[in-house]
Amino acid sequence: MTPESVPRDGRDRQPLPLSERLLSGLARWWPYAPALIPVALTLAIVASLVGASALQNFGWGFFSFNVTKYGILIFVVGSFLTSLPALALAMLIGLGIAVASTTFLPGWLSSWLDPFVDLLAGIPSIIYGLWGFLIVAPFFGHDIFPWLAPLLSGIPGFHTAVNSPSKEGTGLALAIVILTLMILPITTLLMRDALRSVPRDLWESGLALGATRLEVASRVAIPYSKRGIWGAAFLGFGRAFGETVAVFMVISQVQRLPTNVYGGTSTMASLIISEINDNLSGTGLHYLAEIALVLLAITLAVNIAGRWMIRRTFTDVAGI
Amino acid sequence: MTPSLATPLEAIDDLRRDRTGHVWRRTALDRCVGWVLPLLFLVAIAPIADLVYWVGKQALPTFTWSVLTTNPSGAGGGLFAPLAGSLAILALATGVSVAFGFLGGLATAEYLSERAAGVVRIAANVMVGIPAIIVGLFGFLAFVRYFGWGSSLEAAAVTLGIFMTPYVYRATDLAYSSVPSHLREAAVGSGARPLQYLLRVATPIAFPQVLTGVFLAMAIGVGETAPIYPIIPSLVALPPLGLSQPVGALPLYIWEGFENGLILPTAIHRAFQAAFLLLVIVIGLNVLVRVIAARSRRRLEGLFQ
Repeated sequence: MTPESVPRDGRDRQPLPLSERLLSGLARWWPYAPALIPVALTLAIVASLVGASALQNFGWGFFSFNVTKYGILIFVVGSFLTSLPALALAMLIGLGIAVASTTFLPGWLSSWLDPFVDLLAGIPSIIYGLWGFLIVAPFFGHDIFPWLAPLLSGIPGFHTAVNSPSKEGTGLALAIVILTLMILPITTLLMRDALRSVPRDLWESGLALGATRLEVASRVAIPYSKRGIWGAAFLGFGRAFGETVAVFMVISQVQRLPTNVYGGTSTMASLIISEINDNLSGTGLHYLAEIALVLLAITLAVNIAGRWMIRRTFTDVAGI
Repeated sequence: MTPSLATPLEAIDDLRRDRTGHVWRRTALDRCVGWVLPLLFLVAIAPIADLVYWVGKQALPTFTWSVLTTNPSGAGGGLFAPLAGSLAILALATGVSVAFGFLGGLATAEYLSERAAGVVRIAANVMVGIPAIIVGLFGFLAFVRYFGWGSSLEAAAVTLGIFMTPYVYRATDLAYSSVPSHLREAAVGSGARPLQYLLRVATPIAFPQVLTGVFLAMAIGVGETAPIYPIIPSLVALPPLGLSQPVGALPLYIWEGFENGLILPTAIHRAFQAAFLLLVIVIGLNVLVRVIAARSRRRLEGLFQ
């Protein structure tokens, strides 16, 4: 075969028929298709909620505090009121545990204790709810609130003039406590991994300069892993914000803003699960889909921010 | 993560400048904190110890074989139907999530460019954060209403499978991308075709990690109430008879105990036993995950350096 008989470029060749081009494209690209599954599923979830939400039927009038006219802002506020304090508590306790585990405890002890913290992430939320409702709530109502409430009554939000804590113990305060316990493993785990990723030489140079372990932890290790700690905060918040069943079981749900920390209120997620059974079609369903859409928008934003902070998952334990 | 080196070095410098002296005070503070901080472990572990102890205390004295073998009747009876329902939903959902998640994770780790993989990974990570109740509402809107499957085993299983998919996906992706690249080079260098590399080099190394991911997804999925509650809102007392039949599930019986327990003591009694069964399944799966992870770590010792 002489070189001249080989076509130099594609111009003198007949273009392939469309069907063959499609087939060859398919043959080359099919392994890539499954990679799009998470993208497709996320888009499907967003699309179904947008399709069912009330936006098309009722416009933007839903952003009001008036529940009788299907306002949703009460629940948005309720969600923030439960998840932000829970996040603050879980971050403080979690940072303490993470520092203790990476800095102060001997290796064999922390490698024994850490799996227990990881296991907490696996307890189903409905069991937390049942336990919170039947055990923690009466304990708080009978034993904690009666002496704690007078002590704290000077703080705004803790005043007991309008609504003194009931013996039942359920309400915003209990929801915050249960949520704290539920997101504690996530924040702890992520911060522990962030602290563990601090290079050894930084630790050792700090100690070699005469700093104590506490000083190295607080002034070298924590600033170094600032990003990971922020990521833990965002992801913990996302988890607390979307928590449904356990919150519903302990918040003594009413559709209004709480009068104080002992009062009942609703979060977006707890409202959806309590109302879905009675609103399987019609305006009620549009309303719930609207709330779900707002909830989804906020959790997606928070999660994207958190993932961007962490960049890569340090760990895959407990599916976080 | 690429933190600027300036920050920790400055911090060390800072330490040297203003923390010299006061040695006794600083050491004492360090010792105190070193004893106090580990006590925070108690804050995390004590409530759970109480929870497990309490569920066990309520459920165990009356736990007999008849709980596992008889169907619920009225507010009492056993838990055979919800246990079978939960396991059926879990089995099908695991199938769905492995089909989606394993293929997706494999394609991401093995075929996609780094940039494209980064984008898809963000989507998977974000999907992990979608609240369970929203997945449940999606399942209700899509499968029960739009596709018209009704309040059925298949609708619940596919919804739960979608909820579990990102966990399997990420475990698979992580497992296959952490196979050391020198193994691929060695395989290709000794003449292996891509499929041979995938099946005979990468998969034996990555498989235990994929398996732990699947078990973790199962542990998370089996206890979730929110994804299936919108789909099966009423209690079903019969074991699953077909894909299009409604089924009962353990979390729904705990929910029932919470709703009616104060009026019907037997309902709350049953809820404890359902909670106990769920705890056993979840903790069992978690222990299994640790065993597999430890064994594969020992087997692959020296591979990852």
